[in-house]
Amino acid sequence: MSQTKIPVDLILSKLAQDAEKAQSRAHKASEVLLDDLDTKIAQTAYEVVYQEDRVKLKHYLPRTKIRYQTPLLVTYALINRETMLDLQPGRSVVERFLEAGIDLYMIDWGYPTRKDRFLGFDDHINGYMDNVIDFIREKHAVEKINLMGICMGGTFSVIYSALHPNKIKNLVTTVTPTNFDTKKGLLHVWMEHLDVDRVVDTYGNLPADMMNLGFLLLNPARLMIDKYVGFMENMDNKQFVENFVRMEKWIFDSPDLPGEVFRQFIKDCYQGNKLIQSKLEVDGKRVDLKKLTMPLLNIYGKYDHLVPPEACEQLVKHVGSTDTEDLCLDTGHIGIYVSSKFQEAFAPKIASWLKERDQIPKKKPPRKKTTATKSSAGLKKTAQKANLNKKNTQPVATSKSSRSRAASKATNG
Amino acid sequence: MNKENEDPLGMATMVNTWMKSMGDLWGNMAGQWGAPFAEQQHAGAKAGQTATPKAQAAMAAALKNWQSMAGAMAAPESMTALFKGSGAMPEVLLKLSQTSMGSFMEMQQKITQRLGRMGESVEAYQFQDIDENMFRVWTDIYKKEFQQFFRIPQLGLMRTYQEKANQVADTYNLFQSTLSEFLNLLGLPFNRSMQVMQEKLGELAESGELTDDTKVYYNMWVKVLEGHFMTLFQTPEYVETLTRTVNALSEYSAARNAALEDMLSLLPVAKKTEMDDMARELYELKKRLRKLEKAQN
Repeated sequence: MSQTKIPVDLILSKLAQDAEKAQSRAHKASEVLLDDLDTKIAQTAYEVVYQEDRVKLKHYLPRTKIRYQTPLLVTYALINRETMLDLQPGRSVVERFLEAGIDLYMIDWGYPTRKDRFLGFDDHINGYMDNVIDFIREKHAVEKINLMGICMGGTFSVIYSALHPNKIKNLVTTVTPTNFDTKKGLLHVWMEHLDVDRVVDTYGNLPADMMNLGFLLLNPARLMIDKYVGFMENMDNKQFVENFVRMEKWIFDSPDLPGEVFRQFIKDCYQGNKLIQSKLEVDGKRVDLKKLTMPLLNIYGKYDHLVPPEACEQLVKHVGSTDTEDLCLDTGHIGIYVSSKFQEAFAPKIASWLKERDQIPKKKPPRKKTTATKSSAGLKKTAQKANLNKKNTQPVATSKSSRSRAASKATNG
Repeated sequence: MNKENEDPLGMATMVNTWMKSMGDLWGNMAGQWGAPFAEQQHAGAKAGQTATPKAQAAMAAALKNWQSMAGAMAAPESMTALFKGSGAMPEVLLKLSQTSMGSFMEMQQKITQRLGRMGESVEAYQFQDIDENMFRVWTDIYKKEFQQFFRIPQLGLMRTYQEKANQVADTYNLFQSTLSEFLNLLGLPFNRSMQVMQEKLGELAESGELTDDTKVYYNMWVKVLEGHFMTLFQTPEYVETLTRTVNALSEYSAARNAALEDMLSLLPVAKKTEMDDMARELYELKKRLRKLEKAQN
């Protein structure tokens, strides 16, 4: 029998070295942790221009000349907070939009209390969202505005745009679940059997801590162990600690979810999958996706474990619009917004896409065309754009390259 | 001969004698207790006072009752019935112990089965035979043997409160047992990843590819652990246990809230349900108002 060679001496000496390093790191870490840390989030200047109950409308103060005729409203999910888009200077989607010259508004849903437990889809979409959008339309004297939705906020935006297509010029959906009939995401598997009535009747609103525990359980090895091991390994690095704490602040700054919204989201979406089939009803009105006739940009993450690509990519096939585009980024649910690498691909893409549609007057194209391309940044991209009759002198959608060049010029001023 | 067979140790005679003496004792006690009472009553009547204290009368009545009961018990028929009952006691005890032993043996069997499987090799990312039976058995035993006690119908003025308190205890116990089951499931990936790691390390050692960098082993373990969690989370067993745990927690929270509301009703504060009712009314009023406003505009 051959004796295997295990380098016990090397392993032990490595362990001893590691112990020394850990000791020195702990010493430095104590200095870092006791030092003044800059862990503030959402520092970009804004003013609250509209408020209704707990809901506020933030208007970000422009940093440059406004280069878009149509203002943009960003609707975040009711889960977690919109501050994710503005985590820190230099790592902020909000900053990038402002630098592009977009007139930017964002809904802050606030913190629902027990009295908000009866507020459902209708109250949020036809109530708060509609009032906010009317306010912006009136303020800017425009008929339509641009709408961008994030996650559940994207689902709300899709519903809103289908119910009020006359008020939305362009729609951008990011990591937005619309098709819930998939087993790819764990949330989809788990929610299928949830007795939502029992939970809502007991708790009123869905407690944020319960939701957070659920999210942590989606990947305990990474989110409950590896993440903090990473922190321990880098806690002598002030910048790392500051960034880490900012993310922790955002992740655990979770409002409760209004009970009726949760009930409807689970029953009609996760369990009934009604939205993508245009069977969802809000306040007795059917949400017909064919009424989504405005240009649509649909962005999602390839490695999103919360809203997998299968939950997002169906949308463009079901809408009435002839100007649609899918963009799949090689990242996860949060990475799209907080990773510097993907912010570079994500925010400018939206800015240029909006710019193209800000200048070109709308015309009804004759039929759809679907193309699939791979972008230079390693991004999978499926574009479904209007195929123009070549005789048409004022194209709604030209070939991708010509439109991109025009947008790039316009964005750079 | 027959009598000797029925009571070979003379227990009936002994108890009969004891019962008689007890009867006499209660009789004497009642007499002594009643004597001053009678004198006092006589004196009180002379002075035109009302009757003696009620406590004394009650005590005397109670002693007389005890005397009557002891007398009745000393009767031969009662003694026979008593001894028949005591003969049935071992049977009752036996049945009780049989049930408990049955449950215990069931648990024991599961533990033995589990121990038997400990040496088996672990196939990575496989959860076909999830070992949550141990905890499921406990939940079943609780439901079969204990839950019924919390569901005994309550009587009288306080019945509603007692019923709610029992419900809190019952739902709490059920929640604890399902939670144990759930936590046990969450622990499985740790056990399995450790076992897989041991096997991997063995393979590396055999091929002489062991490294001195501990971080490499940690990364390997986290990856294996993550894989095991991802596999587990999609199993029907996990989804079913998760659903039952959430339901059990909701049931317990609802029962606890109901009991707390009863306590709150003693204090001058609004209850949660009252606040909810008010919030609903406000919500509906606001909604109607907004619709009217929009229609008017």
